Amino acid sequence: MGEKILEWLRERRQKLDLFDETLVAHQDNPLYLMGPMLYYFWLVTVVTGVILMLWYVPTTTEAYSSIEHIQNDVGRLGFLLGRPLAVGGLIRGLHKYGADALITVIFLRIYRMYFLGEYKKPGELSWMLAFTGLILGMISGITGYLLIWNQRAFWAAKVVLTVPVYFDQLPLIGPLKFGSMIAFVFLGGPAVGQATITRFYALHFGISLVLLILVEVLFFRTRRKRINMSLSPVVVFLAMLLVISIVLPAESGRRADPTRTPLPILSDWYFLALYQYVKYTPPLWAGLGPGLLIGLGMLVPFLDRSRGRRPLERPFFTVVGALAVLYFLAFTALILFNIAVIERDPFIIMWITLVVLSLGFLWEVQYRRAQKRAVAAASPSSPARAPAHG
Amino acid sequence: MDPQAPELMARRRFLKLVTAIPVLGALVAVISPLLRFLKPNVEKFKIYAPTTGDTPKGEPTAVAALREVANPWDSKYFVFMQKYPQYTPEGFKAANVPGVVVRLPYPITLFDPATGQGPLSWAKEIGKTPTVTQSDIIIFSRICPHLGCIYNYVANYKEVTAGYGGYVPPPERQHALMACPCHLSIYDPADRQTPGRVVSGPAPRPPRTFLFEVRGDQIVVTDVEPGGIA
Repeated sequence: MGEKILEWLRERRQKLDLFDETLVAHQDNPLYLMGPMLYYFWLVTVVTGVILMLWYVPTTTEAYSSIEHIQNDVGRLGFLLGRPLAVGGLIRGLHKYGADALITVIFLRIYRMYFLGEYKKPGELSWMLAFTGLILGMISGITGYLLIWNQRAFWAAKVVLTVPVYFDQLPLIGPLKFGSMIAFVFLGGPAVGQATITRFYALHFGISLVLLILVEVLFFRTRRKRINMSLSPVVVFLAMLLVISIVLPAESGRRADPTRTPLPILSDWYFLALYQYVKYTPPLWAGLGPGLLIGLGMLVPFLDRSRGRRPLERPFFTVVGALAVLYFLAFTALILFNIAVIERDPFIIMWITLVVLSLGFLWEVQYRRAQKRAVAAASPSSPARAPAHG
Repeated sequence: MDPQAPELMARRRFLKLVTAIPVLGALVAVISPLLRFLKPNVEKFKIYAPTTGDTPKGEPTAVAALREVANPWDSKYFVFMQKYPQYTPEGFKAANVPGVVVRLPYPITLFDPATGQGPLSWAKEIGKTPTVTQSDIIIFSRICPHLGCIYNYVANYKEVTAGYGGYVPPPERQHALMACPCHLSIYDPADRQTPGRVVSGPAPRPPRTFLFEVRGDQIVVTDVEPGGIA
């Protein structure tokens, strides 16, 4: 058993394709530049992050002011469009938009891997690592977000860390108070405060640091190229980040106020769909649902036993993926426009899901039947086609 | 093909197992204090009891004069300072727990000393006995028991229908309600059995309540129900 697993791992590890996209080898197609882009944006984020650490003060009283100071005063170059333009602000913009770009690229890459069936053998490990990367990226996002110590950040952290408390309601493992323990370890106490900032600061930096070392080991051992992308996209992407940091400087919002909940409470854009989902479900499921979804997502390579790689050759999984994209976009739109009717929406959503999934299933059955018929028709030894008199 | 060979292998595995147990034990012994390091205000040797020692303490505070909430459905917001154990140099974090005093149109039983039941029965967890057992004044913590946002006391139920997810209360609940803007939970402060009953939305329980006394013409809040994240 152990031998088998090791063998499986060895085989996948050789074909591991995290950043260089050598296995797909369409360097002319931007869809296949996402591996190198991922690594590139990650490096931009890490480097600018370390520069920001030089000025940032991780305390509840000083954090917000130090961010304002970085944004407006550190290395001020002058004024542009009525706003102070400072090197600090540019660095912060690069950090924020670099991170946004990173998450976007991971999302797009996961969707690409899904719809093009790249997760199939031997891509299972790459797929699972891409998913892990997305989760760690999101954790980095939420831990980094709190460091600004503005209203959004404070309430996002509070809401997200109250969710695990509900795991205490689970049978068997609930009474161990495992959920409260998770919340406690992140918060450093039963309230969002100084300890929370310190811990989030450590995690925010630690996640990237540890991953960077691991990835460096990978590069060292496999001798793959780090950024498998020509110079022009490297320059263009940096220029894009710079332009957007100047035109649309990273926001600071309002200083955190524990006595007033902002309306609506929002977080980084990639959490918005989740926030809408939390409105619809009891809190235990608000925690378990995304966990189960992530688990299912990770297991997709083992659930999808179809042979083809093209989207139309495995209709059911294509329908599931399309539905996931649709829900992500729809939930994000709903929360942005602050639309939710608690008594009505969950039923509509449940019915849509059920109907679409069963239609997808029927499509799959029908497709497989047609496939079988085609095979039977094509094979010369088929008894139906055998001529009666040779 | 010695028939003894598999037997020998099994013995080796057994020996390995026997050695592994004390090694693992030692590892656990080393790691468990590290776990305590993550939450040091737990009592010694009680690493599985996460909430002990986390109980916050507050100062009794006069929150409203009786005349301010003289009529049914009158309400007053206030802020109660609560000290949560944390790893600051002071050893605690002072957090503000917002609350609301509500005058109900009829008195309800807050605590039944005979059976120990009622909305204030949590008081025994912190070693207290409620002094006010029946009252038409009730005081809720405004921290939503769902995910910790701060909810609002909405005097007109029509505003709840319009702004908090389209909940239309049945005729007997068409009065002031409490509603959370974050995830649209709605509470009925005047429910006779469970004041603060969840009437709509994802909240799992009614809002937490305060222990209070009436001293002269002042309503004095002494403690808030523990739990949740402030």
